[in-house]
Amino acid sequence: MESGLSSLLSVSIDFETSHLVFPTIIHWILAVLFAIILVTKVIPFLAAVKRGERTLPIVGESMDGFRFFGTLALIIAYFYLMAVVGNMFPYTGYGFLFVSMPFVFLMALMYLHEWTKKAVVIVLINAIIAPSLVWFVLAKLFRITLP
Amino acid sequence: MMEFVSLLDVTFFLLAGFGALVGIIFGAIPGMTATMAVAVCLPLTYALGLNNGLALLLGLYVGGISGGMVPAVLLNIPGTPSSITTTFDGYPMAQKGEGEKALRVCVVASVIGGLISAAVLFLFAPMLADFSIKFSYVEKFLIILLALSVIASLSSNMLVGIFSGVIGIWLSLVGVYSISDGGNGKTRLMADFMEPYLYEGFSLLPVLIGIFGISTILLEAEKGVKSELTSDRLKLGKGGVFAFSIFKGRFTNLVRSSFIGTFVGMLPGVGGSAASVLAYTQEKNLSRDSSEMGKGAPQGLMASESANNALTGGALIPLLSLGIPGDSTTAVLIGAFTLQGIQVGPLFIPENANTWYIMMTALVFANIVMFFLMFFAIKHIAKVVMVPKHILYPLITMMCVVGAYAINYGIMFDVWTLLIFGVLGYLIQKIGLEVAPLIIGFILGGQAEIYFVKSLESFGTLSIFFTKSPIAVVLWLLILASVVFSIVMSLKSRAKGRQDVLS
Amino acid sequence: MTVSKKQLVGLGSAAVMASMTFGAGVAMAQDGELRGNIRVVIGSTSTGGDTYQNSSIVVDKLAEQLDLNMKVDAVGASSAFRTLDRDPRGNTLMIFHDQSYLGFLYGVQGYENIFEKYTIGPTVAINPGNAYLVPKDSPYENLDEIIAAVGEGKEVRVAIQPGGVSEIGFSALKNAVAIEYPGQEDNLVAVNTGSQADKNQQLYDDQVDMIHGSVQANEQFTRLPEDDQKAMRFVWLTARQDTIEQAPEDGMGQTSREQLLEYVEPNVTVTMGDDENFTFDKEFFFLYNKEMDSGIVDQIDEALAEVYAEGEIQEVQKNSFFIPNFKPSDEASEYLKNKMSRYEEIIENIQ
Repeated sequence: MESGLSSLLSVSIDFETSHLVFPTIIHWILAVLFAIILVTKVIPFLAAVKRGERTLPIVGESMDGFRFFGTLALIIAYFYLMAVVGNMFPYTGYGFLFVSMPFVFLMALMYLHEWTKKAVVIVLINAIIAPSLVWFVLAKLFRITLP
Repeated sequence: MMEFVSLLDVTFFLLAGFGALVGIIFGAIPGMTATMAVAVCLPLTYALGLNNGLALLLGLYVGGISGGMVPAVLLNIPGTPSSITTTFDGYPMAQKGEGEKALRVCVVASVIGGLISAAVLFLFAPMLADFSIKFSYVEKFLIILLALSVIASLSSNMLVGIFSGVIGIWLSLVGVYSISDGGNGKTRLMADFMEPYLYEGFSLLPVLIGIFGISTILLEAEKGVKSELTSDRLKLGKGGVFAFSIFKGRFTNLVRSSFIGTFVGMLPGVGGSAASVLAYTQEKNLSRDSSEMGKGAPQGLMASESANNALTGGALIPLLSLGIPGDSTTAVLIGAFTLQGIQVGPLFIPENANTWYIMMTALVFANIVMFFLMFFAIKHIAKVVMVPKHILYPLITMMCVVGAYAINYGIMFDVWTLLIFGVLGYLIQKIGLEVAPLIIGFILGGQAEIYFVKSLESFGTLSIFFTKSPIAVVLWLLILASVVFSIVMSLKSRAKGRQDVLS
Repeated sequence: MTVSKKQLVGLGSAAVMASMTFGAGVAMAQDGELRGNIRVVIGSTSTGGDTYQNSSIVVDKLAEQLDLNMKVDAVGASSAFRTLDRDPRGNTLMIFHDQSYLGFLYGVQGYENIFEKYTIGPTVAINPGNAYLVPKDSPYENLDEIIAAVGEGKEVRVAIQPGGVSEIGFSALKNAVAIEYPGQEDNLVAVNTGSQADKNQQLYDDQVDMIHGSVQANEQFTRLPEDDQKAMRFVWLTARQDTIEQAPEDGMGQTSREQLLEYVEPNVTVTMGDDENFTFDKEFFFLYNKEMDSGIVDQIDEALAEVYAEGEIQEVQKNSFFIPNFKPSDEASEYLKNKMSRYEEIIENIQ
């Protein structure tokens, strides 16, 4: 009996494939949990959606599409252009500096509801000063590598 | 023994204080961490000399860890990975208008944690180092498992919470099974074309600030970024005034959490974020009135902040008595010693007594400076939330980019990780998965793997997890208690929920 | 009053354009020369490790000599190679050590043949500290006893980090057993672990009989009293004798050069067959993008030659327990290629 148990518990791990041991275990746990959640949560939820009692997340909700997708688009453009511009001036941090300014400016404008002259001027000043300050302190003073 | 006093001068104290200040600023900016603060100032120490250099670096370390509380409480973004549990109670309090009070609780807890751990470091370092080497792969795995067990009690729905946690673990496994951790250097969970980007997997800091910072911005953008003045939330309500009486009856919590922080900090390879998670778990499990934790209870802040500041002293224990860094910041700190040609190892303290006393002085002084700087600056710091969102959000995004890019010394993919996890964080909140368990799974997943697989590789049997040592047995009892507790809690709250529906 | 969106977008892009023209001057300079800001990526992620320390000594001096902004970034091997791949302009340089080709020889994922893929730059220094240690109360007095024990069929377990610098000494040892006691080499078992902390821990746990370590990291452990669980002693330094002979007389910590010399050839020998002994010096050298202008290669060679001729850098390196070892690119490339082929043989032999 004793030896039966210990042989049951014994495992030998081949170093060459040891990178797959833990992920395999996690996959099984995930699969089991997912199955339980599917049965106990998702199916009842979908049934409720069908009956019209609940709405689907995201698609069934109201959203400010302009600001949401605008944010996504701006962030993608920001990250992409930063690398591109940064590559023109290697390791100067200019990529970060010059792309951050329009990004901060445009994102702030997008989130600003009432475009009064005063508010826009504040946004503009902020968009110029903040990235410059960050760039100066980090890239120049502390010599951190920036894009 | 007192001859080291003659080595101290005004510059020394000024540098320690200045370090604490700069550290706080680094820690308080989302995306910038204590590790980064120490790393960027490392070259300065060459010019400053050993003693003054150490004063600066230790100040940065203490300040950086403490500064992490600010964005955690006010913006729901952990400033440093170890302040993750501070967001659980800090942000709900800030939403209730108690941001300033929450921060003050954090500051007091931080200084207590920092000083307790400094005392432990000073009195017991060599002894504790000998104790810490009793923890092999097996015991370290069990510690991680214990910390993971918090997922069960943290989640609002246990099943969904555990599922989220396991997803977090899965995400942490993407990439290479790192050779430098003892793996075989092979990648998994990804297609070949991703290898140039994902070879090293997702790194922690970008994931953290992506999932907390960027996803918050996306959620707000979806709602149209209403310009309602956030300062309304910060107005001091009736419950918003801080008084030291809030610590009444919390003495055990503070001391326990400080010791947990110190202890976890001193285990090489475990340290860092696990400390505050573990302290939070224990407070949740052991305290009688923990049902409010996660909804804005000061005791959660005390556990989290005293533990993460206690990390500082703890992580220095293996550094100074084994030559092995206890966390990522002390790993950078080692550079300061090697640059000065000083060896750290088991004989460091006896052979460099003066340096040792100087470090202790700097550590204690930095904690005190940190306390006064923050305690009295909080009133102004808390005003961050009064900055209108249309100004604040672009700046947060920008700082997140800097932090993500700089954390691994300039890797563009880390910036994209921000976006990936920002979107992921948005989606998982939408479909009802839970963020906190997921992130805890992510933080601890990699270590869980190494320690689990390596234990089995060495011993070849699962039974080793139970029979390795008395320490293992004690850890199992703690894990068991933690699990039983969370099941009981969840049954209780379910029963209560049913009663509420009926009545 | 409100402002139209179009105006503002225009303003933003104008700002970008203006700043671009302003910065463009930086990129203008004659060909074949380093210009602008230079980033030196290293194959290690640690800023407390030997690669970073040595690189920053060299890069600081080089930057001074060339009057350029240069910065060392500890991005790690995989990222460093990738960053270097993308930049043929010479703004990105890399410093790494023997791991760069040993990883390839051991077939580690992500490593390629550096002699084909990159231009090899000058070597700058040696870290002479590569060592093997046993517990202080180990039954094995020296390396010969270990080889003999393995030859007699006793299992000896060694903690190493697989796939590189940490494994090469182990492979050589295994090769030596195979030569002296054919068929017995499998009794020398590698226990794959990670950091120095992990290796030490394996020793305390009695999971291994010998560990890979370094003079720098383990010297203090060798001075602990024998009854301390953490006490160790050196059995082998893989460095060449004349490398250690160049070390400062005081050695490391309180272990003098004299004492260190006891652990290198001819006192400790690991045969490679044909009367040749195995040695391994961990050498640091530059790696360049293959497309980079050869003018830059010469420029760095010349600048470094001047730095080394001044003689100050040697003092700094020796203070940090590095052995200065400047070889210009051509010489370095030839030398390292030879070095690789020697180790290639060993690794093939034991497979």
